[in-house]
Amino acid sequence: MPGEARRWFLPTLMSVLLAGAFFLTGCATKPTDPDDLAAYNEADDPAEPTNRVIYKINDTLDTYAMRPLAEGYRAITPQHLVREPIHRLLVNAESPVLFGNDLLQGKPRRAAATFWRFVVNSTLGLGGLFDVAAKAGVKAHDADFGETLALWGVPDGPFVELPVYGPSNPRDAIGRCVDFAMDPLTWIGNGAAYTDARWVRGGVTGLDQRERMLDTMDAIKKTSLDPYATIRSLYRQNRDSSIDALRGHDDP
Amino acid sequence: MFEIPKLEVRKIAAMPRRGVFALAMTAVLAVGMMAGSAARAQTVPSSQAIDFITKAGNQLVAVINQGADSPARRQALQAIVNRDVDISGVAKFCLGRFWRTATPAQQQDYVNVFHAVMMRSLTANLGDYQGVTFTVGQTLPRSDGGVAVQTVLTRPNNAPNNVQWVVINVGGALKVGDVIVEGTSMKLTKRNEYASYLQNNGNDLNALIAALKAQSAGS
Repeated sequence: MPGEARRWFLPTLMSVLLAGAFFLTGCATKPTDPDDLAAYNEADDPAEPTNRVIYKINDTLDTYAMRPLAEGYRAITPQHLVREPIHRLLVNAESPVLFGNDLLQGKPRRAAATFWRFVVNSTLGLGGLFDVAAKAGVKAHDADFGETLALWGVPDGPFVELPVYGPSNPRDAIGRCVDFAMDPLTWIGNGAAYTDARWVRGGVTGLDQRERMLDTMDAIKKTSLDPYATIRSLYRQNRDSSIDALRGHDDP
Repeated sequence: MFEIPKLEVRKIAAMPRRGVFALAMTAVLAVGMMAGSAARAQTVPSSQAIDFITKAGNQLVAVINQGADSPARRQALQAIVNRDVDISGVAKFCLGRFWRTATPAQQQDYVNVFHAVMMRSLTANLGDYQGVTFTVGQTLPRSDGGVAVQTVLTRPNNAPNNVQWVVINVGGALKVGDVIVEGTSMKLTKRNEYASYLQNNGNDLNALIAALKAQSAGS
C-alpha cells in the first residue's frame, strides 16, 4: 500500500465498519412491554446484536493475541525502569493532539500547560521519558476530540462496539479519527523509515494500553456475568463523568 | 498508517486497575443480611460523613494489613461490611425492576447469594491491598440526600485512584450506599450487568440466582 493510502486506511476502515454496524446488519427489536422498553432505552444500544458479534471477535482476538502479548510485555520489562518511561514517551508524543483539543475546548490555561509540559519534557525529560513538568507542579491531563465534540453540544449517540478498538459511540469514534488526523506524526516524513516508525509507535501504544488494562479486564471477566454489558456501562459512565468534570473545569 | 489494535479506549484505560476496581465493586456489593432497609433520603451532614468514612476506612486498612487470609480476618471484614454497607439497599438497587416482581423467597435467595459472591470476591482481592493508605478529601452533596466523600487510595507501586464513597442515612444509621471509582458507580454498573443478563435469559430471575450461585461456588 503506498504511503498516502496507508494514512487514510485506518479512518476509512473505521468509517466503513461503523456505517456497516449501523445500517447493514441487525438491530434489536424495540420491546413493547413498558419495563422492557425502559431497560432498552437505558442500555441505549439499538445495534446490540451486531455489537455483541463484534465484541466476540474482539474478545477472541484479545484472548489469543493481545492479552498474551501484554502479559509477555509485563513479564519481561520492569515497571519503573522500562514500562513507565515508555508510557510517558507515548503520552508526550500525543501532546500536539492534546494541545489542539485544549484550544478547541476553549481552555487556554490547559493549552498553555500542555505546551509547557511538551517543551520541558521533550528537552529536560529526554523526549518524555521523564515527566519533569509534573515534578515541577504542572500535572498531566487528558483531552480528546470526542470530549471536544461533547463540549460543543454533540450528543454521544448509541453505544457502538468498534472492531479492534472496543467500546465507543459515534461521537467518540469520530473523535478518534479526528485525533488521528490532528496528530502531526501521522503526516510528518516520507519513506519506509517513517512508515516503520509509525508502525512501531502504533504497536507499542497498543501494547502499553493493553498492559495497563490487564488487571482491570481480568477482574471484569472474573466477576461479571455479562462482561459486554459491564464494559458498556463502565465506558459510558467514565466518559460522562470526565465530560462533566471538563464542563465544571474553570478555565477563562 | 494502521495502528496496532488497542482493545480498549483511552478513557477506559483511565479506569482503575484490578485492585481498586475489585475492592470497590465488592465493597459495595458485599451484601450482608440486613433485613428491611429503612426510610431513605435523609440528609447527611458532611462532617458526619467524613468521620464515618475515616473511621470505617481506618478499620478496613487495619484488617487488610493484618497479613495473610485467615478465618479471623474474614470475620473482621464481614463485620465491617455488615455494619457499614447498606446491604439490602444495594442488593435491591442492583436487581432493579425485578425486585418488585420477585417472590419473597426469591428475594431472600438472591440477597443470600449476592452476599456470598461479594464476600468471596472481596477476600480474594484483599491481598492486593497490602500497604494501602487513603486520604479523605472534599464532600459533594447528592440529590438523594446522601453525601459523596472523596478519597484518594494509594497503594505501593500503583497510581493513586480517586474513589468516592456515597454515605446515606438508613433509618438513623450512616451506611455506604455506593462506591464511585474514577467516575463509575459500582452499583449502577452491577445493575446494568444484571439487567443485561436477565434480558438475555428470558427475564428469569431464577437463572440469575443460579448463575450467582455458580459464581459463589467458584466456578
